[in-house]
Amino acid sequence: MRKIDVHSHYIPRSVIQAQDQEQDWYGLTYSAAPSPGFDDPSGRRVAINSPKLRFTPEERIADMDASGTDIQLVSIHTPYFGYSWDPAQTTQMAREVNDEISALVRQHPDKFAGMAALPVQDVDAAIEELERAVNTLGLKGAELDAAINDENWDEPRFLPLFKAAESLDAFLFFHPQPQDNIVATARTRKYSMPNSIGVPLEDAMIVATLIFGGILEECPNLKACVAHGGGPACFGMGRLDHGWMVRSEARVNIQRPPSSYQKQLYYDFLTNSEPALRFLIDSVGADRVVIGSDWPFVEWNPSPGGWLEGLQSLSQDEKEKIAYRNLEQLLGI
Amino acid sequence: MRAIDVHAHLTPQCFWQATRDGGSWHGLRREQDARGREVLVSGDERGQLPPRASWTPEQRLADMDSLGVDIHVVSPYAGFYNYHLDAAVAVVTSRESNDEIAGMIQSWPDRFAGLATLPMQDVDATVAELERVMVNLGFKGAMIDDKVNGKLLDEPEFLPFWKAAEQLGALILFHQGGDTVVSPRIRRYHLPNSIGNLADRTLTFASLVFGGVMDACPDLKVCFSHGGGYACYGVGRMDRNWRSMSAEERRNPEAPSAYLKRFYYDSIVYTEAALRFLIDTAGIDRVFFGTDWPYDMAQDWPVSWVLSLESLTQDEKEAILWKNMERLLDL
Repeated sequence: MRKIDVHSHYIPRSVIQAQDQEQDWYGLTYSAAPSPGFDDPSGRRVAINSPKLRFTPEERIADMDASGTDIQLVSIHTPYFGYSWDPAQTTQMAREVNDEISALVRQHPDKFAGMAALPVQDVDAAIEELERAVNTLGLKGAELDAAINDENWDEPRFLPLFKAAESLDAFLFFHPQPQDNIVATARTRKYSMPNSIGVPLEDAMIVATLIFGGILEECPNLKACVAHGGGPACFGMGRLDHGWMVRSEARVNIQRPPSSYQKQLYYDFLTNSEPALRFLIDSVGADRVVIGSDWPFVEWNPSPGGWLEGLQSLSQDEKEKIAYRNLEQLLGI
Repeated sequence: MRAIDVHAHLTPQCFWQATRDGGSWHGLRREQDARGREVLVSGDERGQLPPRASWTPEQRLADMDSLGVDIHVVSPYAGFYNYHLDAAVAVVTSRESNDEIAGMIQSWPDRFAGLATLPMQDVDATVAELERVMVNLGFKGAMIDDKVNGKLLDEPEFLPFWKAAEQLGALILFHQGGDTVVSPRIRRYHLPNSIGNLADRTLTFASLVFGGVMDACPDLKVCFSHGGGYACYGVGRMDRNWRSMSAEERRNPEAPSAYLKRFYYDSIVYTEAALRFLIDTAGIDRVFFGTDWPYDMAQDWPVSWVLSLESLTQDEKEAILWKNMERLLDL
């Protein structure tokens, strides 16, 4: 069975070079303590916290071979999105990174496909770069954060970006950025709760915003996937439906219940339990779920594909769809 | 067949009477919006009061009869937590609200049981009020918010409260008040409620587990409204993070998923699949019937909804509707 992984992080070589040469990287200031890393303009620290992120393409392929992953859809490691920077700087960074990912894909077309980084705070620039990434560089689409500085994706100024993605047939992969955008950190930073609860909460808000904001209504052919199984969105969909039913402010953009839109999205299988994955499949259908390993941050036992193959409650047909058939069909991989 | 509702609020008559003609109930007021709807005014905060919130006990009983609900385990309106006000105000509003519930229990002992509201910003006063309602007024426990002026309930200052609740056998029902964790991000589409309530409950579950409260108080009875939010569905990621913690970081000896069966949950999760999942992960003896009366997020016919679920056995339906609470709360 082939294995195609939608959720696999990538650090630009220029980040590693900047760190090795103790230099700044775009808007990020290098410093050696407490461990080598960068501070963004708002003072948040970004460090390369997994040795695997420094892998060369050959080392990465060897790691994929060892875990039985045939193809990774690589996307920039989310702390480097750069949405809070000067847009010209983010645009320049995105071009450089997308060129690099494109070169990686051209060098190893049977092992990698790529998703672009976009300077979304400048929507025109983001559309221009998405067009270039898809039409010139051969990337499959782009990776996007959960929110854009203080804005959410339902702001009307972002609709042209989704329209452009739809008409370019570009695939969008939504992944929240742990350092900047976890709203749960306003409540607590204890016990790793921003990661264990805050990240999936962001995923659920992405699903809700795309639905309630009318983006899936306006762009019925948009190809979009939400990381971490869309968080608990599918489990909480009944409450979203009820809220839509009883509150007029929930119906401003959509005339159908939110649950009727949830099968328009794709979700990776990173639900952390078999019952939760089963619930997701039963909610959205096996043709909407794909492998997402969160490489290199999750220790899989025995491997992302091996975990899937060992699940008792999934049929062989469901496993094949999730492992490769869905992404094969969707992206022509 | 009986039905006991663990999640039914009271906006006390003492508030309605004191705020008639523009008056104030310990600084709380109400006004009507352009369409004549009642709005609570509490400092800078405003809360919609639904039509049924002003009903008398007699009107409430008629509605319960219509819904097929035998007992309301009455809890106060979450807009009256008053944790952000001077503690002296919260002490008085708590007492008056609790006394009114006590009066309802006295008048209709077969139809009402009580969950108190507490002045949580003052732990000593909270423990005193919890003792008063449990020992003198025959309450079953209390309802509290997921946070007290920004603090989660695993902070050491709250441990005397948890110890008192455990010793008194009080059931502590968690229910959000005011903003939820989602509110700073987005206020549109009712998401602060429809996602935020569930997120808040999940954070509370995790903080009590990771914070060691459930280990410090092994006999504590805690019920999460709204089915515990995302806790049962999302506990796998908490387990993963717990496994990656060092021994010094871990306060809870078992993985978070092992604690799911230590809590109680109400049944207001809206879909059969979600309720089935909750039962299968937490255990059938851990789910209580709850409706969120009298708010718009309540289901129209909640008793009939439970009875109609095809994936539940008759025993499971009875356990949820009344047997679990009859046993635990002696109702």
